Amino acid sequence: MTLHDPQQQLDATDRRNAAAVRVRGLRKQFGGQVAVDGIDLDVPSGRFVGLVGPNGAGKTTTLSMITGLLRPDSGTVEVAGRDVWRDPVDVKSRIGVLPEGLRLFERLSGRELLGHLGALRGFPRQEAERRTSQLLDTLDLVGAQHKLIVDYSTGMRKKIGLAAALLHNPEVLFLDEPFEGVDPVSAETIRGVLERYTGSGATVVFSSHVMELVESLCEWVAVMAVGSIRAHGPIGEVRGSAGSLHEAFLHLVGANGRGTPGDGLDWLGGGSRSGGAE
Amino acid sequence: MRAAAPSVTWTFTRLKLSLLRNGLRQSSGRTAAFVISIVLVLLLGAGQLLGLILLRGSEHAAAGVVPLAALMALGWAVMPVFFPSGDETLDPTRLVMLPLRARRLMPALLIASLVGIGPLFTVLVALGAVLALAHGAAGVVAAVIALPLLVLVCLALARAVAAVNVRLLTSRRGRDLALLSGLVIAVGVQLLNLGVQRLSDAGGLSALEPVADVLAWVPPASAVAAVQSAGEGAYGPALAQVALSAAALAVLLWWWFRSLDRLMTSPDASTVQAVTAREKSRGRTGRKGLTGLLPHSRTGAVMLRTLRYAWRDPKTKVGWASSLGVGILLPAVFAAQGNGSVYNACWVAGLLGIQMYNQFGQDYSGFWLVASTISSARDAYVETRARMLAIALIAVPYVTAVVVAYSLLLGEWQAIPEVLGLALGLLGVLMATGVYTSYRFPYSIPQDSGYKNVAPGQGSLAYLSIFGGMAIGALLCAPLVALTIWLHLSGGHAWLWALLPVGLLYGFSAPALALRGAAPRVAARLPEILTAVSRG
Repeated sequence: MTLHDPQQQLDATDRRNAAAVRVRGLRKQFGGQVAVDGIDLDVPSGRFVGLVGPNGAGKTTTLSMITGLLRPDSGTVEVAGRDVWRDPVDVKSRIGVLPEGLRLFERLSGRELLGHLGALRGFPRQEAERRTSQLLDTLDLVGAQHKLIVDYSTGMRKKIGLAAALLHNPEVLFLDEPFEGVDPVSAETIRGVLERYTGSGATVVFSSHVMELVESLCEWVAVMAVGSIRAHGPIGEVRGSAGSLHEAFLHLVGANGRGTPGDGLDWLGGGSRSGGAE
Repeated sequence: MRAAAPSVTWTFTRLKLSLLRNGLRQSSGRTAAFVISIVLVLLLGAGQLLGLILLRGSEHAAAGVVPLAALMALGWAVMPVFFPSGDETLDPTRLVMLPLRARRLMPALLIASLVGIGPLFTVLVALGAVLALAHGAAGVVAAVIALPLLVLVCLALARAVAAVNVRLLTSRRGRDLALLSGLVIAVGVQLLNLGVQRLSDAGGLSALEPVADVLAWVPPASAVAAVQSAGEGAYGPALAQVALSAAALAVLLWWWFRSLDRLMTSPDASTVQAVTAREKSRGRTGRKGLTGLLPHSRTGAVMLRTLRYAWRDPKTKVGWASSLGVGILLPAVFAAQGNGSVYNACWVAGLLGIQMYNQFGQDYSGFWLVASTISSARDAYVETRARMLAIALIAVPYVTAVVVAYSLLLGEWQAIPEVLGLALGLLGVLMATGVYTSYRFPYSIPQDSGYKNVAPGQGSLAYLSIFGGMAIGALLCAPLVALTIWLHLSGGHAWLWALLPVGLLYGFSAPALALRGAAPRVAARLPEILTAVSRG
């Protein structure tokens, strides 16, 4: 770990060599079902990192455990060199989180929420207001800043969630499905902000199952399926000989072995339409 | 539409019946509730029918019946706003995609409206109303006209209100309003109760006569009044009163038709309401008001949010409104019944103290924002303390005011220090136990359902949290109560004032100790609390 001193100015290459997130033997079981089955992962810092996998692969559970929102059954997580579960004081100010499926303070307006979080993070009023205004402006939320979040659309929710996650300028940002249900215009806005952010040397880890998006954004990916990591590394390595990440992904999660989708539906479509007569 | 097109009235009536039947199929509990309410309504309907018939011949019959008809119409007017789920066919946007014109839809919907428990009760009340007043042939003729007129105006009123307010009903604000329905019922029942008491004090129905005289010219109560007028031989006024109600029905139908027609022919605008006038004012207050008074720190921010939620979040608002309302009503009711003990003022402290219970559950899954900003026991301490301070900011002055006012009302001003000490001691102890149960037994309060206040599977946890906490609270208060009793029994009346400082000390130190003890555990249990409160 090279990031022991937060004040130390590291240049981009130094930061790239360190692991932003270090996961060892992480495991979580809900009742009889193993959601995350002992994963090990080193996420390089200063990169745009994608965590991909089909629904139910354990992405959300993994991200929740990494960000300190869900206690793992066993295993360790280090973010920026600090143990998330043993040393939360230092970690929580260094990470930003946009969870999936959890609410915000819905009865505050967008501006009020950011102001509230600014106070919780201990910023002076002026600074909190300055950052709030800039974030609202950049994320194109100025028009809705006085509207209650409960009335926001999905895209606006994701954007205000991103603003909340960025407010304290974290070193590592964890985003669970940040583009899910987001229109192309908002997606482009989010994308622009994130690219600028990683450009300054910060790390973004985000989960998604839209492969094209991951391929165009990420330099590094980890593929998850049924609670374990199937492959990880620079995107070129993971893609390997496959034509696209999409194909490589289907192969990795074992979706190719099932034959052509729809083989069982021999009645579906043109030929057999007239009353079942062959 | 072809002229030969079959009537849709029967279709809609069947739809209504199917909705009713399928609703019952969902659960046996719902069936039981339905059977119980239909039996109750039949009993109540028969009872009032009998009562109104007994009223027949009384010279004050009209004074009772006419306001009753007006009250019923009022009930139908507010029903769509507060109980939109009462009738699934009320929301006209569900029907606008059907290839039907408003003119064909309206009679069908109006007839379908007659199916249900509410309409049954309405018909029974209307029947009783006209029976109570119909005298002579002219009276009977007027009654035959007035009965359907009254029922139709009620039904059309509900439909028209629903159609006009459809934007509101399908919006978030409409759902918020629906959450307040329980409060509307509670307040309505109390007002009715108070009214009945006033009537029995004031010498019966005759007290209502001035009201009835006015309402006799307000539709649809005027239709009922027409029966009375016709029976008395005042054919002119009777005709005018019937005409007034008929005109009201026509206006309502036209109003309903217009809004239905507009809904069916204009594009859906439910997602276009980007900025409404009300929202512009919010947040612009800047540093004025509360925002300026509270410090810009975790304490100030959390207090501000707690207070904002007490006003903006319908569930929290209902909780606060009931605590504040019942707290002041309960001692008043006791006093009215003649059990006027000054100690009854302590109820308000008890009711406000339990506002501290399940603090984190009130955040629902939004608690992750709190969890992700608490990194030390100190943060947890400040967070919990701020929530308590916000409650105390309202509760302490309110409890003080209620105690002082109530003691003065009973003429026992010398008891103020003693009762105030007890009340504030109780408030503090309950808030202290609230801190404990908040982190030890957190449970989720689902936000999407208006009537569910506990997530499935967490019911016992909620009971444990509330009743266990209250039992411990009572136990912790025992020394304070014992001291009071001892001072009274041992003749130490001269020292009763000392209960104020003792109670204050008690009410201050209990939460302070609870916060110190709880903070490290809150900080350590954040993920567990988040999991518990995000359920459902």
